[in-house]
Amino acid sequence: MSRYFFYLVFVNMVANVVASVPRILMGYRKEGAIISIIVSFCSGLIFCYIVTRFFNSFPGKGLPELTKKYLPRWISFIILFTFAFTWYIAGLITLITFSFLLKRFLTPDMPLLLITSIFLLFLSYGILMNSKSVLYTIEFVLLCCLPVIFIITLKAYTTSALKWDFIRESFMYIHHPPSFTAIAASTYLLLGGFNLIIFNRLFKEKQQINWKNMIFIGFTGGSILATTYFIPIGVLGFDAVGDIVYPWIITSDALRLEFFIIDRVLYIFLLLYLAISFVSVLIHWHVALELLKSIMWFKHIKWKKQNLTPYLFTGLFCLGSLKAVTYLTEYQLLEYTGYFLNYLFCSFAVMFGLFLFIKRRAKA
Amino acid sequence: MRSNNTKKRTSSETLDWLSEELKSSLDLVQKPLHMDEKHAELLYIKTVVDEVQLHQLVIKPFFELGHIQHVESYLNSLPNQQEITSKEQILLEMTKGSVIVAIRDDLLLFDIKKVNTDTVIQTIIEPTIQGPQLSLSEDITTNINIIRQRYHKPSLTVEMMEIGEKTHQSLAIIFDEEVVLKDVLETIKEKLKSINPPIIQSTTELHRLMNDKKRSLMPIMMVTERTDRVVYNLASGKVAILLDGSHSTVLAPTVFFDFMTSMDDQYSSYWVTKSLKFLRYLGLFSCLTLPGVYVATTSYNPEVFRVELALSFAGSRIGVPYSSFIEVLFMLIIMELLTEASIRLPKAVAGTATTVGGLILGTAATEAALASNVMLILVQAVAISTFVIPINEMSFAIRVVRYILLVFASFGGLAGLVLGLIGTLMYLTQLESFGEPYFKIPLQSKEAETRRSSL
Repeated sequence: MSRYFFYLVFVNMVANVVASVPRILMGYRKEGAIISIIVSFCSGLIFCYIVTRFFNSFPGKGLPELTKKYLPRWISFIILFTFAFTWYIAGLITLITFSFLLKRFLTPDMPLLLITSIFLLFLSYGILMNSKSVLYTIEFVLLCCLPVIFIITLKAYTTSALKWDFIRESFMYIHHPPSFTAIAASTYLLLGGFNLIIFNRLFKEKQQINWKNMIFIGFTGGSILATTYFIPIGVLGFDAVGDIVYPWIITSDALRLEFFIIDRVLYIFLLLYLAISFVSVLIHWHVALELLKSIMWFKHIKWKKQNLTPYLFTGLFCLGSLKAVTYLTEYQLLEYTGYFLNYLFCSFAVMFGLFLFIKRRAKA
Repeated sequence: MRSNNTKKRTSSETLDWLSEELKSSLDLVQKPLHMDEKHAELLYIKTVVDEVQLHQLVIKPFFELGHIQHVESYLNSLPNQQEITSKEQILLEMTKGSVIVAIRDDLLLFDIKKVNTDTVIQTIIEPTIQGPQLSLSEDITTNINIIRQRYHKPSLTVEMMEIGEKTHQSLAIIFDEEVVLKDVLETIKEKLKSINPPIIQSTTELHRLMNDKKRSLMPIMMVTERTDRVVYNLASGKVAILLDGSHSTVLAPTVFFDFMTSMDDQYSSYWVTKSLKFLRYLGLFSCLTLPGVYVATTSYNPEVFRVELALSFAGSRIGVPYSSFIEVLFMLIIMELLTEASIRLPKAVAGTATTVGGLILGTAATEAALASNVMLILVQAVAISTFVIPINEMSFAIRVVRYILLVFASFGGLAGLVLGLIGTLMYLTQLESFGEPYFKIPLQSKEAETRRSSL
């Protein structure tokens, strides 16, 4: 597989922290979170494999091209519109969560709207770029951030604040049956491959995902899932972790770099995740924009020979998020995120039906 | 017999027309040569023709050879004879330094230019420790000669064309046929044909004209005067463009990372090269971010740094009467003025500028409490790290980007700075240099990265 495919997968894995996944898992820590993680690990890998195999058999084609070819127009319109909306919400959740995070931890005296506006300014520029440039941006950001995140994770595993007893305690609840919400939330980590519905347009060469790729994805995904769940429990305590809204941020604040010019890891962590979550929103909204462009194209809105349709959608995206960020509270955001992740899990099951249908049509 | 007559008429008519066209200039020479029954006529512009060579090549043999037919066949076999296509072409060639010889009703055109700009000068813009110390000259044939002397391969192709509506300068496109990317070459040629400026003075101007975007910031072609760089890039498949009268070449297509390499990187050992490169990127990063980090950490997030550091920042700012943003901007602009002044000033006065500037950037500003001590160190660090970027054009572009980042840091603190950096990154990734992506991390081999079907 092309290396750019792995970047798409990795962004979702790393950005889960900002998508409230740890928070949801912590909520179910006494109700089968561990089993849910194991179940979701398997289901996520299967999802990832199926979607990649499907798009591998249509090199250079995104989902819009396929649905237009093999499905009636109105069904294709509904499906693509739903997906565009889903991807928009996925990006929106990351954006709003991170705006809240910034407001709380980094720039408390800045108005929330200003924080979001700065985000939106750069995002609007980014999602209007062509897909290639988006991938190059992701690559550079990931190559800069991943080593530092890796070091921070190592630091978290080796810190004296990590009490393994708490982690052992969490294993005492292993016999509880898994919960659907927890499964849906932790599957989110492995759903990055679904961005292929647009980015597959760029993978024009015939390629096949093989077992080495899957082992690689499985290994990193598994270790990130385990880290996401166990480190906050170990650092913050099995009981106390339930009271915290952003478990990972507080965990990173428990770490100290004694001899560096920045001694609180929290700030390094926040800035890294600022970059990561930006990239995550960039991917999701770029996909949403491209999907919308493929179903709605207004020929008449023109200015200086340039069609304004993409700008119109971008404007709507921005307006929607400015409205949402002022409307939502942190509690509501968490609740809706849970609903969204549940919906996501179900909708992807529906998607496989679609894939099967397209594949059979293509063979016929 | 009749055709001969018309030929005779046209050739003498052409001569008359030429001398009529050039009559107003004083340096036109129209000289008939006679000996026994041998007749010939020379027409040329004295100041652009090498008269010694003219004497050697044309005048002396004319008197030494016995018969007029011998003279003609001798002249026809001279290698610097040029083909005649039209009256206008003769006129144009004459202004470049060609000589017209009218002999036996025929017109012959010879290229006997005198070039005074063919001295090869020392490298001044991109000095290196190792590697060739001489750069190119300001004459195109000398430059092609230098490049060919360093790149002995039959597939090296030189294509000539003319550019400039008024000046008609010659321009050479040089590439290695075997490794060059064909479609890039086509784009470059088309681009060169489509631009038609009245005058063009230097390769840098050519670079600006060949950019698709009217308002651009980053250089998408590399202007260089180093011959080793030209040869290295030709071998890796780039196209070099030479312009007559300019002592630098332009290379295309380029990527961002080309601008961060010095030719010394090829000559030193592996780890030395790697550490120097690391140093250079560190310089790039620090000159981009330091002003922004200062503003963000003093005005927005003093808690980010460890307490001792934050306190010494704040302590150093005691007495400074304005916000950190004004302070940084004020000192940076003085620094830029100083840099700009020392480039433009005549060498005799340049010393004064640096002394006066040094005083301001030295202790005077802190003693007057117009800037903090930490700030001064920072501005100097920024100035030094800007000079680490090997290619001048890139360092100019980076100087501009720094201010954009400073503005975002002043509006959004550290978050604004990080987002600004990502914004710059996005700007770079969507740039293209003649169809090649400008900012793409080269993780695979060169062949794999430039393959068309890959990303």
